[in-house]
Formats: sequence, structure tokens, C-alpha cells
Amino acid sequence: MKKLFTGAALALACVVCHAQETIKIGVITDRVGVSKPYSEPATEGLVFGANEINQKGGVLGRRIELLIEDDQSRPDISAALARKLVDQGVVFILSVSLSPATQQQQTVTMEAKTPQMTPMNSADYLTTQLNNPYFWQTGPLGSTQIATLLAHARGKKFKRVALITDNSELGQAIAKAFKGTLEKAGIQIVADEVVARGATSAMPQMQKIRAANPEAMFLAGVLTAENVLIFRAYKELGVKFPIHSSYNLSVPIYETVAKGLTDGITFVDAYDPEKPEVKAFVAAYKKGTGKDPQNLHGYGYDGIYLVADAIRRAGSTDKEKIREAMQKTNYAGVMGKKGMRYTFPEGKRAGFDTDGMVVRVYEKDKQGRVVHVGQK
Amino acid sequence: LRDFLELSVSAAASGCIYGLIALAYLLMIRPTGIINFAVGEWAMVAAFGGHLLLSRYEFPYLPGLALVLAFMLGVGWASERIAVRPLVEKGSPILAPILALLGVLVVTREVISVSFPPDPMPVPSAFGYGRLEIAGIGGSYQSFFIIAATALVFAGAWAFFEKTLWGKSFEAVALNRRAAALMGINLSRVTALSFAGGAAVAGFAGLLVSPNISAHYLMGVPLAIQGFTALVIGGVGRVEGALLGGLLLAFAEQLTARYAPIPSGFAQGVPLLFLIIFLLVRPTGLLRVRA
Repeated sequence: MKKLFTGAALALACVVCHAQETIKIGVITDRVGVSKPYSEPATEGLVFGANEINQKGGVLGRRIELLIEDDQSRPDISAALARKLVDQGVVFILSVSLSPATQQQQTVTMEAKTPQMTPMNSADYLTTQLNNPYFWQTGPLGSTQIATLLAHARGKKFKRVALITDNSELGQAIAKAFKGTLEKAGIQIVADEVVARGATSAMPQMQKIRAANPEAMFLAGVLTAENVLIFRAYKELGVKFPIHSSYNLSVPIYETVAKGLTDGITFVDAYDPEKPEVKAFVAAYKKGTGKDPQNLHGYGYDGIYLVADAIRRAGSTDKEKIREAMQKTNYAGVMGKKGMRYTFPEGKRAGFDTDGMVVRVYEKDKQGRVVHVGQK
Repeated sequence: LRDFLELSVSAAASGCIYGLIALAYLLMIRPTGIINFAVGEWAMVAAFGGHLLLSRYEFPYLPGLALVLAFMLGVGWASERIAVRPLVEKGSPILAPILALLGVLVVTREVISVSFPPDPMPVPSAFGYGRLEIAGIGGSYQSFFIIAATALVFAGAWAFFEKTLWGKSFEAVALNRRAAALMGINLSRVTALSFAGGAAVAGFAGLLVSPNISAHYLMGVPLAIQGFTALVIGGVGRVEGALLGGLLLAFAEQLTARYAPIPSGFAQGVPLLFLIIFLLVRPTGLLRVRA
């Protein structure tokens, strides 16, 4: 009888401990859509980070449980998935598919008062179009990218430049940001070209750019295959003006898929291989998974650590307390220049330091050194 | 003028790719009436095959090419067996196999998408990368190779339909299925062969274009649309129509992008405008079936 009683007590205790056990965090990623090349590594970094946190004892003594959903980067289904996650009791949603899909999820998180963050989306409108106090963005903004890229280019005193992008939503958004900043700086855009997704040649666009005779070309495209087409046409036409690229060129796949085409291209990145946090992350990731992480893994890794940090400071899983703690974030992660900390200045919900990006240059087929830091 | 000639080479190469995809459609439509939108995915499968054999395992080009094309014959044959024949034998309406093949499209893409990393993969070109100038006409090695190889394929297809008994039996099935069957032509064998051939031609297009656009899991649908547009322009009646349609489409696309005084975002709409106009005004395409 006594034995039975202890058993029942143990079982009861276990029910309690089970209820206490996990903190549910939702992740909305893209496993089959256009953003898969970005979302997948970010999600891997995120999962790795969550495991690491759990191995170190979790948050508030509880384990993190990730509920991962795939919205294919489609705004039409992403909100429904956010609703599903909220109904499953998540206290936070991390969004790593495309910006438009993330934007759509906000309609749910705003209404359900559930904290949501994207650690990697770069569209400027995410925190400005909707006044959603439950949403944050810690990826570098499109406007920060171009400002950093331009700060580096400023020394070269360009007057006439060309702009080329693709017709993806993100490519268009980045091109728009590029254009605004270039025009504000009084730089004339002498050619403004678009290469469509699925094109088999970028020759007409590159010929047009060659005919306009720019001093440099800014590349805002984010579709790897189409960017490779652009580089092929560039090489075939034998033009020599320098290429300054969006952070898309920081994706390491270019080292293999664009072999022989990338030497000398400068690109903006949020990743400095020399930064101590990066070195520690790379070593830990390699030890844990046997694979080398990319910069993209860092976004997801920072994302889950930022959330864990907020919950820890909130001291509870109450969503309102997490919201307050998140807004007071002051955290140094993998991404950003040496010494950068994520913070949300008064009233702002975009947390990547506008001076936190770096400009790097391709040396042969390898992503090389940092040649410029910040917007100055 | 130098620009124009250079652009002509690039447009001709793109046009050849569209033409090959259109030919793949045509091979299947003629005897069966089935529009198979999975041709784009077949091109993708072959591109990944090219990546595996030529890039990863470093096969020499020609044996690698032959292996991939042989595999594609099998893929086309299997698709017909699985998604078309059971429906045709049951006497389902023609829409049924078309929809089933759309299913094949999705399944194929997802199989590739989960089997390979998400990034575009490199596929080597036949003669490496470089620029060739012939009498002032400049273009990449690969562009000239695409043009020459496509010319060969079309010459072969033309000879097959015009000169061989097998080709004639394809034509007979296209003209009148029942009469052809009464004449002792094995309908299911013609259908199976047309799918195998379609897959091989689409796969060849994929192998030719992938050194430029890389092998990636989303490459299929744009190719399928461009090829279909080329087919509508050229008409399904004659083999040459596919090539003509492809070339016209590519020239329209690239010349408007280069010379039309409209923002280059709008230039992308031109091919689709072509598609709509042809469907409205001349749904049989430029070349009509010979009586």
C-alpha cells in the first residue's frame, strides 16, 4: 500500500514536472519555397542553439521545446501557421522565412499578444508598417546594408552607377532601398535593370549597363542562380567596373557555384570571421554537428539566444513580461561587427546596430577579409 | 552592331533551349494529345544528374551526358507507365492524365528538393568557360555548343518523323488514333516511346542550360512556361515550329529587355503578351500542319 502510494505520488510529481518541463517556442521557416537556401541554415543554427541552451540546463530551469512549421514563404498560409502555434501554447514565435510571410504573421501575433521576432528578415517595413509592440527584427535592415556598402564606396567618389536586381519580392525591396539611398547621396543611377527569375541569360541587361558606362554596379538581387547569370554575362562582356553587392553574396554557395567569377566583388555582410563570438560559435557548431556553419546559421543561433535571454530576464513565461524584457534587450551575439550589441532604442523594434555591418571582399573564390566597418 | 550580334548569339542559345523544351512537349502532344507540364522538372532532374555525374564524380562529358539521357528515357517511360497508361486504359477523359502529370511535377520537384542541399549546384559546360569570336560574332563556348547541339537534335527529330517508318507511325497516331490502331500500330508502344523521347529531349535541354543557370530545384517551372509559350507560338503541328517558336520568343524577350525604352521590369511581360496574343489570334501557331 505504501509502495503504491509512493508510486502515485511519484507519478503525480512527474505530471507536475512534465507540465513544468518545456517552454514552447514556435519557429516558422521555409523548407520547400524560394527562401529555403536561407531559411534552412538559419533553422539549423536555431535548433543547434536550442539544444545548446537545453544542455546547459535550459531557461528558468525548463527545457526549450521548438515547434517548427513550414510556411513555404507564402504569406497566404503563414498567418494560419502562426495561429496554430499560438493555439499550441507557444510563448514566442521566431520567423525565418521571407519578409512578406513574416509580415502576415504579425496580424496574428499582434492580436494574440504573442511576442514574435525575425532574426534575419531585412525588409525595413516589418517594424514600421504595423505598430505591433509584440514584434522585433534583429536582422540587418536593407537600408543599413546599402548605407554600409555606400560608406565603403564613398571613398571612391562615384557619380554614375548602375543598379541590377531580380524580380523576387526581396530583390525588389533591396533595390528600392539601394535606389533611395543612392539618390539621396546625389549619385546618378544610369541604368536600372531587372533579371527575371528563371531567365536563361542576363546578356541584354548587362549590355545595357555596359552601354551606360557606369563607374560601378550595385547588385541587389538575392536569387543565387540569376546572380550567377549576371556574373557570367559580366565576365563574357569583359567589363571592368567594380561590383558592390547586397549581403546575398555572403552566402557561401557562391564559392562553388560561381567558381572563377567572384574575385574582387565587394559585398556587405553581418559576419566577421575574426570576431571572438564567431570563432567560438564555429568551433562549437563544428564539434556538435561535424559541419562548418555559415553566417546564415548565426542568425538563427542569435535568434534563439535572444529569446532565451529575454525569458530569463523576464523571470517567467508570461508573454507580457517577455515583451517588456525583449524591448530592454542588450545582447552581444554572433552576428554584427566586433563588439556589436543588439538593442532596441527607445520606441524602435529593429535591433541590429545600424553601424554593425561590415564590407568584405572576395579573394579569388573565397569570401575574404573585412575591408570596411559601419556607416562612417 | 557588335552588341546586336553578341545579343543574337545569347538569344539564339536561349531560344534553342526553349525550342528543345517545346519539342519535348510536342513529342508527347502529337500522338497522345496530352500536355505534360512536368517537362520542366525533367530538365531539372537531368541538370541534377549532370551535377552528380559531371561535377561531383567528374565523369568525362560525353559518357556522363549519355548516362543522364539514358536515365531520362527511363524516367519518361516510368512516368507514362505510372501516371498515364492506367488512366488511358480506363478510358478517363484527357484531362485526367494531364492532372496526374502535374502530380508527377510536384513529386519530382520535392524529391529533388529533399535529396539535395537547397542551394543552386554547379554543372560544368562541355568546353569550359570562354569566349569565341566567329567573324565578329562573339559568344560563350556554351552558347555556340547549345546552338550546334540543338540543330542536331532538330535535324534528327525531323529525319525521324519524315524518313523513318517509326516516325510515320507516330504521325499516323497523331492524325487518327483509331485508324492507326486498325492499321496494326501498337498505340501503347508509341505512347511510351513518345514520353521516353520527350523526357530525353527535355533532359538534354536541362543539361545544356544548367551550366549557365545552375541546377536548382525551382528551375523547372520557368522552363516549362517558356517552352510552352514557344510551342504555342510555333504551333504543335510541325517539329520545326517548336524551334521557330523558341527562337522568336527568346529574341522578343532579349531584344525588348535590351532596346525597348521601357523599364526592364516591364520587359518581362513581353513573352506572356506573346502567349496571350497567339492564343487569341492564332491558336494553331505559326506553322500549320501539312495536309
